[in-house]
Formats: sequence, structure tokens, C-alpha cells
Amino acid sequence: METAIKMPSLIFTLASRPLYWLMLGVSVFILYRGHNEPGGGFVGGLIAASGFAILTLAHGVPTARNALRLHPVVMVGIGLTAAFASGLPGLLTTGSFLKHIWVSIPIGVTQLDLGTALLFDIGVYLVVLGGVLAFLFRLYEESAV
Amino acid sequence: MILTTLITLSFLSAILTRPIAARLGRLNGWGSAVIPVGLFAAFFSLVDKVARGTVIAESVPWVPSVGINFALKLDGFSLMFVLLITGIGALVVIYSGAYFSDQPPEVGARFIALIILFMSAMLGTVLADDLITLFVFWEMTSLTSFMLIGFESEKSQARTSALQSLLVTGLGGLALLGAFIFIGIALGTFSFSEVILRSSDLASSPYLPAILPLLLIGAFTKSAQFPFHFWLPNAMQAPTPASAYLHSATMVKLGVYLLARFDVAFTEVPAFGIALVVIGSMTMIVGAFEAIRATGFKAVLAYTTVASLGILVMLIGLDGTVAIVATVGFILTHACYKAALFFVAGNAIHATGVPYLRHINGLGKALPFTAAAAVLASMSMAGLPPSAGFIAKEYLFEAQLVSSWKLTPIGIAVMVNAVMVGVAGVVVLKPFILNRHDPTPVHHGETKGLLIGPIVLAIAGIMIGMAPSLFVAPIIQPAAAALYGAPIHVAFSLWHGLTPMLALSALVVAIGSLIALNWDGIHDLFQRKERIHRWLGDAVYFSALNNTLNFARSCTRWLQNGDQRHYTSIILGAVIFLVAYGVLRSDSALIIDLGGAPLRLSPIIILMFAMAGAIAAVQMSSLIAAVIAVGIIGFSSAILYLLNGAPDLALTQFGVETLFVVVVMAVLLRIPVYAPSTRTRKEKRRDIVLSVGVGMVIFLALATTVATPLDTTLSDFYANHSLSDAFGRNVVNVLLVDFRAMDTMGEISVIAFAAIAVWGLLRRKTSSIDPGHDPEEDMYTRWRRR
Repeated sequence: METAIKMPSLIFTLASRPLYWLMLGVSVFILYRGHNEPGGGFVGGLIAASGFAILTLAHGVPTARNALRLHPVVMVGIGLTAAFASGLPGLLTTGSFLKHIWVSIPIGVTQLDLGTALLFDIGVYLVVLGGVLAFLFRLYEESAV
Repeated sequence: MILTTLITLSFLSAILTRPIAARLGRLNGWGSAVIPVGLFAAFFSLVDKVARGTVIAESVPWVPSVGINFALKLDGFSLMFVLLITGIGALVVIYSGAYFSDQPPEVGARFIALIILFMSAMLGTVLADDLITLFVFWEMTSLTSFMLIGFESEKSQARTSALQSLLVTGLGGLALLGAFIFIGIALGTFSFSEVILRSSDLASSPYLPAILPLLLIGAFTKSAQFPFHFWLPNAMQAPTPASAYLHSATMVKLGVYLLARFDVAFTEVPAFGIALVVIGSMTMIVGAFEAIRATGFKAVLAYTTVASLGILVMLIGLDGTVAIVATVGFILTHACYKAALFFVAGNAIHATGVPYLRHINGLGKALPFTAAAAVLASMSMAGLPPSAGFIAKEYLFEAQLVSSWKLTPIGIAVMVNAVMVGVAGVVVLKPFILNRHDPTPVHHGETKGLLIGPIVLAIAGIMIGMAPSLFVAPIIQPAAAALYGAPIHVAFSLWHGLTPMLALSALVVAIGSLIALNWDGIHDLFQRKERIHRWLGDAVYFSALNNTLNFARSCTRWLQNGDQRHYTSIILGAVIFLVAYGVLRSDSALIIDLGGAPLRLSPIIILMFAMAGAIAAVQMSSLIAAVIAVGIIGFSSAILYLLNGAPDLALTQFGVETLFVVVVMAVLLRIPVYAPSTRTRKEKRRDIVLSVGVGMVIFLALATTVATPLDTTLSDFYANHSLSDAFGRNVVNVLLVDFRAMDTMGEISVIAFAAIAVWGLLRRKTSSIDPGHDPEEDMYTRWRRR
């Protein structure tokens, strides 16, 4: 019975680390710019998950889990809490849950526009990341790949 | 807002009790009793006010659009219940502390916390003045009862009985909700006080045939009336303090409470009264029969509780003010003596370790105070003067004589009460007084905590009897008046003169003594009536439960038979059916309008790539190659989205396709690369039909949708308001995060559940594929090591 289990290629293993960091950076960038340009929490989460997927394929699940630091389900929980918490300021000030509030913080010469919508998006990002990685890690665990 | 405050305090303390009581160690019973005692004192201070006719009402709007308020009301009847709940609750908490003293303190703390939670729910139910609020608290009592019955969850009998009580009372709760909703629709209000006053509207309402049976089912399940009585004896699996509190003194009286309140509302519906008398009488007979037949100490008491509840239901069904006073009096006295007797039973069983009534002898010397309490409480149960039970029984007979029913209820009442006298005698004589030369060995003695409950309640029973005027004006009279809606004169005293009731009481005591003396013989006779017992038991419940579970099992066996293609076929079949149905039923005709625009080159090329991918996916014999070919179709769709101006969608599609291939690969790498096809010809033909069907149906739906003119109201609204209201130029993201944020929260919750399920379900112990290596070692190291 010939299965397709082979050793990972050297190029792949060497390129995996830089690719991982690059994809993580890109995912955060896409998360932040989502409100005004194409992007957002869902896509950011998927890209970050792809970064971890590269790490998993190249080095195995334990390495990827260490890189994640948090347990995937814990990450999902944090994301859900963040999303829920982002609705509370609106509830307290205007009585309407999930009505988003915006603040503008001047930093040096530029303005940093933050709002509870960004917090919500971060929550979505973390949930997607954690959810996909839960699947990934469980399926790739202890496999002979 | 005193009522709301007190209830909130009660619930808060229930939450805090568990950690705090665990730290109090041996004093957890006494310490936690502060809460019910405090509540008792607070409500006791209101006795004067309420007795003078004031009604304390509070209301907080809850769901204004439907007319539901969180409304509380304190009148004479609820005050009596509240005092019973908090008073007996205090004694139960102290008793529990002593009862669980030989187990680790966390166990006792958990139990006491549940008791206080239950107490809070009971308070809410009797104080509620809004039907829906009442329902919420009603269900809360069922839930806490479930947790208390199944407290010793290692015993499978406890678990089964707990589930049985939950299912039966839950079913009743559902019926009750139905009744309340119908009442709300019929009368336009959910306010309890208002509903009670509008009896003529209720009687003439077209919903009455629905309201009455549903309401009765709700009340009968909770108060263990025939044929729903079987859960109460099984609930004796609970620790004795719970049995004393819930299943004799308070929770099972909730159905009685509800029926008593609704009595005035149904004055113009004679079926209400008839149903109550009939069912009540039947319950009395069943309870009496089973009480003689039972062997366990607590079971005997449970069945007499069933009979007593039958008496109460029957009393409510009788007309006249005497019946109302009798109801109130009996609720009070029954709570006192039944709880006391349960405490006594608990002491006896706890001391000897023997739960069977016939096998406990001569404990009078070892447990003297318990025996004394047993004697006093039994006097009240038997209806002997000077106990309160005597007065209550006299009122019961008077109510029956005065009512418009003939002699049958009286006959039944005489027999059943005689049985209760017999039980009272046996419960005192057998365990405590007889066979004093040959006592059953005692492991645990009486402690202060175990004694306070039975002694206080037993003495209360006698006190109410000997000095009734102390209790009539402040408690009993206002309670009866609150039920009736107008003041009633209550003449509670030991001596009324030579009345027919006195004669009946004497008759009852005489027959009862005969029963007590011949207990063993009658008990054995009834034990042999196996078939009657089975009819009266929970056979129907178990057969209904098993049939439901079997049906569920066979449905699941067909639907989830393990074959993934089977699931896909079902889904595809459903898709074809539903989409075809929707398209054919829509208003717009089936149009395939190609329009006059010239063909564009780039989409054609992309679609040809996609088609190549599809054909490859079907033809490939390697599953990995097939998955990648399907991925090509996904990527082509993403590029199409890009070409049509949907970058977010395209980005997401790219991400999803990539990750899908990666995730599926994990599974595919463990199976042979070139797997032979396992489909038979017939199955392949079915696959083709389904695939072609789905394709055609989707094509028709899309074509029709594209051909119909597009209504851009929504798109325009979002495009215009996205930047101004939500400060974002990316409409798609703004929709997800702001305008429809609730939907997104629902979606990520689903992802969260899926992640949790996957994490738990895919856990594997050791790798079965490649044994003999360290599973923690990552594969790079393994490769280096080869």
C-alpha cells in the first residue's frame, strides 16, 4: 500500500519561516485596512491561518502550536469575548447593543482612527484563526507527514 | 421595591452560598440558615400590613411590545406561602448541614446552595403577578428539583428518577406556557391579577377549550395528580432534606397554588370544578392504596403526600367559602407535619442505614427527641385533637358536607383519611415504640441540627391547634380572603360543638386505628395486587420514553449511516427539490434571456479553465489530484469575482480554497494514493442524475435571477450610508461589522462551536499508523533521524 507520505523538501522547510512571518504581517495589515479598502477580519484570519498552515506542513504540529502560543480554542474564546465586548460601549451610551463608537487619536502628524468596529473585526479575526487551526492541528497531529 | 429587592438578594445569596458554605465547615448549615431566616423576618414584618388588607405590588417592564412585565404581588395567600417557604427553608438548611456533616464540606455546600436557589425560585413563583414571570420561576423550580433529586449522581436510580421528574413536570410546564399564551391572546393581558378578575371574559372566550385542559395538565403534573403522580415517589431518591422541602411542603404545592388562584377566574366554568373533584378524588384513592402497599419509609410518606395533594385539589374543586378556608388550613398544617415526618424518617434512616419501614424497630430509646417529634407530627397527620390537623380535617369534612356534591366525596375522604391515620400510627409505632427490646442497631445519633427541624415543626402543629386564634387573624384569614377576593370569617377552634364533622372525624380515627393495628395483614394483601400497582405506576412513562428513543435511534441510523456519499446525496436531493420548488413558485417566469451584449473573452477563458478542472476532477483516479482539480474551480470563481468588482469576495475565496486543500490533504495523505472506485453501476447512475440535476437547477435559478430586473434599493442605501454613518468606505466590511454585526456574531459563534467540537472529537490517543516513534517529535527531526 503506497501512501503519499514523503519527507518535506528542503526549500519548503527553509522558506516556511520567512513566509510565515510575512503572511502574519500581511494578515494584520489586511485586518486593519478592511474598513476602507478590501480586507477585513475574515480574510485576515484566513491568511494568518494559511501562514500557520505553512508552518505545520513544514515543521509539524508541535512547532506550529508553540508559535501560536495560545490553545486554538482559547483563541476562539478570546475572539468571541472581544466581539461581544465591542458591542457593550454602544449599549452603555446609546442603549443599542453593537452600535459602534469611534475615536480619533492624533499620533505625531497622523491620526489613528479607532473604533469598536475594529475590536469586533479583531474578534472575528481571532475566531477564524482559532477555528481553522483547530481543524488543522487536530487533523495533522501525529500524522506521518 | 421591597419585593424585588428581597428576591434579588435571595438569588444572589444562592450564588454566593456555595463558595462561602464550603469554607464554613461543620457550621455550614447554621451559617447558611441566616439567609432564609433573614428573609422570613423581612416578610414577617409585613404580616401586619397584609393582614389589614394592603396588597404590595411592584412591576418592572420586561417585554413591553408583548405586554409582559416582571410583576410581583404580595397578598395574604402568597404571604402564607412565603412564610412557609422561608421558614421551612431555614429548618431544611440547618438539617442539611447536619445531614451532610459526615461528608466533605463541598458536598454539603453544593446541596445547600441548590436548596437556597430553589427557595428563591419558589419565592418568585408565589410572588409573581405576571403569567410569563410565573412560568419562568415555575420552570426554575422544576430545574432545581431535577438537580436535587439527582444529587447523588453516581446512583443510576437517582439519575433516572431525576430525569423522570424533569420530563413530566417539564411537559406540564410546556402545557402551562400554552395555556398562559392562550390566556394572553384571549384577554389581551398577562397580568395575573387582571386575569383572575375577568372570569366572564374567560368563560366566553373561544380559546377556553384549549386553556382549561392545558392549565390543568400543567398544575396536575406539578402536584403529582393522577395519572401524573408516579414521579413523586421516585423523587424520594433525593437526599431527605430535599424530599422534606420540595416534595412535601413546597414545590408540589405549586400546582395547588395555581389552581387555587385560578378558582375565582373559572367560576363560570363548571368543568373546572368537576375536573378537580374527580381527579382529586382519584388521586386520593391511588395515594392511599399505594401508601399501604409501600415498603420504604420515605415511599410511604411520599404516597400519603400524593393523597394529601389529591385532597387539596378536590377541596379547590368544591364550591363555597368553607372549602377555601379548608384549603388554606390544610396547606398550612400539611406542610408542618409532612416536613416534620420526613425529617423524622431522615433521622431514622440516617441512624440505622435501613430504609424499610418494617425493618426498623425500637428506636425510641436511641432517638428520643425524634420519637417525640414523630408522635406530635403523627397526631397532626391523623387529625387527633389538639393538633392543627384535627381542625383542618374538621374543616375538610364541613366543606364536603356544605358543597353541592353528594356523599361520594365524603365516603372517599373518610376512607383516605382513615388510611392516613393508619399510616400515622404505623409511622410512630413501628420504628419507635414497638419492639423496644430488640432495637435496630444505630450508627448515628441525633444531633442538634437534625433535631431542630422536626421538633419546631411538630410543636408548631400542636400550637396552631391549641391556640388557633394566634394564627387565624394574621395568616389564615388574610390568605382565605385573598383567594376569595372578599373577607371571609374563619372560625378556627378546637371545639365547635357536636357536629356531623366531629362524628366523621371519630369514624375516621376508629377505622384508622383498625388499619394501624392490622397493618401487616393489609400491607401483604395489597402487595399481592401486582397488576393494579403496575397500572398505577410509571409503565406508560417508560414505554413512551423508550419508544421515542428507539424512533430517534432508527432515524439516526438511516440518516447518519456512516457513508459520506449518503449524506451528500441527501443534501443534493434536498437542494434540487427546494430550489426547483422555489423557482417554479416564484412570480417571475422561467426566463433565459441572454441579452444582446457581445461575449467577453476573459470570463470565457476563465470558465474554460474551470471546466477543465471539473472534468479532471471527475476523471482522476488519484483523490489528491481530484481535490486540487476542484481547487482550480474555486480559484476560477475567485478570479471571476475579481473581474466583476468584488475584491473582498475574491480574497476570501482564495483563502478558503487554499485552506480547504491543505485541510483535506491531511486526511487524504493517510489513504492509498490510487484507490479503486467502490461505486456500483446503479450508484454511479444515481450520482450522475443527482449531479446533473443540481447543475441544471442552479443554472435555471441563476439565469432567472439574472434576467429579472435588479432592485437596487438596498445596495443604494448601504452605498450611501456606509461612509456617512459608519465611517467606512468598504461597504462589504461595513455590512459585516456594523450594519449586520449581530448576524456576524452568530456566524462566529457557529465557528466557535465547530472548533470546540472538532477539538474534542478528533482527539486520538496514539498514532495507529506509525507505531514505535515519539508522537511529540516533530517530523523534521524524524526526517533527520531516518
